[in-house]
Amino acid sequence: MTTIRKKHDGAFIIPAILIVAVMTQVPFLLTIVYSTLRWNLARPDLPIKFVGFANYIYFLRMPYFPEIPEFYRIVWQTVLMTGGSLVVCTVLGFLLAVLLDHRIPGINIARTLILGPFFVMSTASGVIWKTTIFNTTFGWYGVLARAVGFEPVDLLSNFPIAVIILLFTWRWMPFFILVMLAGLQGIPDDLIDATKIDGASWFQSTFFVKLPVISRHATVAIMLGLIFIVKEFGLILVTTAGGPGTRSYNLPFDVYMQVFNASNVGRAGALAVMTVVLSLLAVTLVYRVVKKQSSLYE
Amino acid sequence: MSDQEVRDMNQSTAVRRVRRVSKVKKTTKTVFLTIVIHAVGIIYFFPVLYMFLTAFKTEAQAVNPAIFFNPTLQTLKRVLSDPNMLGFLESSLFQVIMGTALCLLLGIPAAFALVFGRFKKKATKEKLYVWFITTILLPPVAVIIPLYTWFQAFDLVGTPFGLLLAYVGFHVPIVVWMLHSFFSDVPISIIEASEIDGCTRFQQLTRIAVPLVRIGIFSAGLLVAVFIWNEFFLAFNLTGNTTATLPVYMARFREQQGMFRAQLSAASAVAILPPVIFGWLTQKALVKGLTLGSVKG
Repeated sequence: MTTIRKKHDGAFIIPAILIVAVMTQVPFLLTIVYSTLRWNLARPDLPIKFVGFANYIYFLRMPYFPEIPEFYRIVWQTVLMTGGSLVVCTVLGFLLAVLLDHRIPGINIARTLILGPFFVMSTASGVIWKTTIFNTTFGWYGVLARAVGFEPVDLLSNFPIAVIILLFTWRWMPFFILVMLAGLQGIPDDLIDATKIDGASWFQSTFFVKLPVISRHATVAIMLGLIFIVKEFGLILVTTAGGPGTRSYNLPFDVYMQVFNASNVGRAGALAVMTVVLSLLAVTLVYRVVKKQSSLYE
Repeated sequence: MSDQEVRDMNQSTAVRRVRRVSKVKKTTKTVFLTIVIHAVGIIYFFPVLYMFLTAFKTEAQAVNPAIFFNPTLQTLKRVLSDPNMLGFLESSLFQVIMGTALCLLLGIPAAFALVFGRFKKKATKEKLYVWFITTILLPPVAVIIPLYTWFQAFDLVGTPFGLLLAYVGFHVPIVVWMLHSFFSDVPISIIEASEIDGCTRFQQLTRIAVPLVRIGIFSAGLLVAVFIWNEFFLAFNLTGNTTATLPVYMARFREQQGMFRAQLSAASAVAILPPVIFGWLTQKALVKGLTLGSVKG
């Protein structure tokens, strides 16, 4: 009897494990293997050869020391884009969630509108912003800028990182608002009444009462937001295409360029492995910081 | 006496005083807040709103940003009769329907077994659960190179099944993660009672556990459907002309500097409308699934 049951329990879970392993774990292990090979698809004449850490060293070394190699700049850009959008999403997202927590006529319409961009595919939102907003001649930005009397500069090529932070934020903040609003709505009325009687100001009740109470929700929003934002690719491709030059590359975009433009499997593999390691490091680091902050309240 | 009345009676006089004094102030505040909140909502959604408007313009009308114009269905009709566009739409529908169905089919029993299953070692369940969660962290760039070489080698680029497999592999962990917490809320006594009544494991799952967590299943399925519909990176790198999905089609508009904006808007409208409407209709279930799935986790 018991043996049969054990077999059944395995049968429930083994198909899921198999497909997840074959589609994610095995390819990732292969990527690690590839990262130690000299393998260039564009050079079939060169045999595939084991080269150890040479591909990693290619990115990490600093031959002309004071000059910082491109890899480090791209890491920094990734940190800027991801961190920048994460901070804005959290801070502004919390404030908007507080705003949307009011009972006013038609509140569900406003909530629905703000939630909308979360469901819009990245490539569509990218091209919409690029052509109908940021275009200096026909976009709303260009038209409004001329209406107030100054010549619009091309934001995409002049401030690519700021533009990308704006777009990342626009697309992912609704998710932050959704989660934190759910937290705010779970706060019992008694608690809010009590703060009113105690004469707490808006600032005090928002940041010293509401924020601590929903700190778990905020943690979840930040962690999932980080995981989503750090792998963004489509928005960058359709808006700045990583440009000008490599000024708005993030790490996923760089991996893509290494495989599909440079056809260099070995180097792309090394870059992909470093991307995963850095992402996991960032997730752990942010988790520690956020956990520490929110445990202060508990 | 209703609950409300009891609460009112119990309320201290202090609260009542605060409320009375601020009644006039409160009305002005509500009006002000109403205006501000709706303004924020409209501004936030404006790019999408304007895109939907532009979908009803002709190419000539679409050149200038204008909110008032003579609407026409001409552009939408042209986009929807373009066999190119329809091909992408068909691929997208195939991936979403098949992908979501397979993810649920594999993910529901897996999550169930991770909560109620018996394994030789007790730690196995915990370890497997953590393993599923960590795969959510894995960015697609980590797997794209081998997948790309496999797809070339086995000629999977020309069929939709390769991408489908990848989607299932990437989204089953999300189903497992969300449903794990929903199943954990089911009292184990119910499952044990059914066991005594002679239910097999399979019956426990289909007759008892699944009906109890249907909101969780619904929101997990919904989230996976939206993710698959919108997924770009894998679709972009692992498909050919006949198998590419809508996000890939939308990305093709990136080169046309501000041209064909009516066509672009009409195509976007078609690509965006299903997930946006779906998402709105199911907001509540989604919030519940996300918060229950994560706040406890």
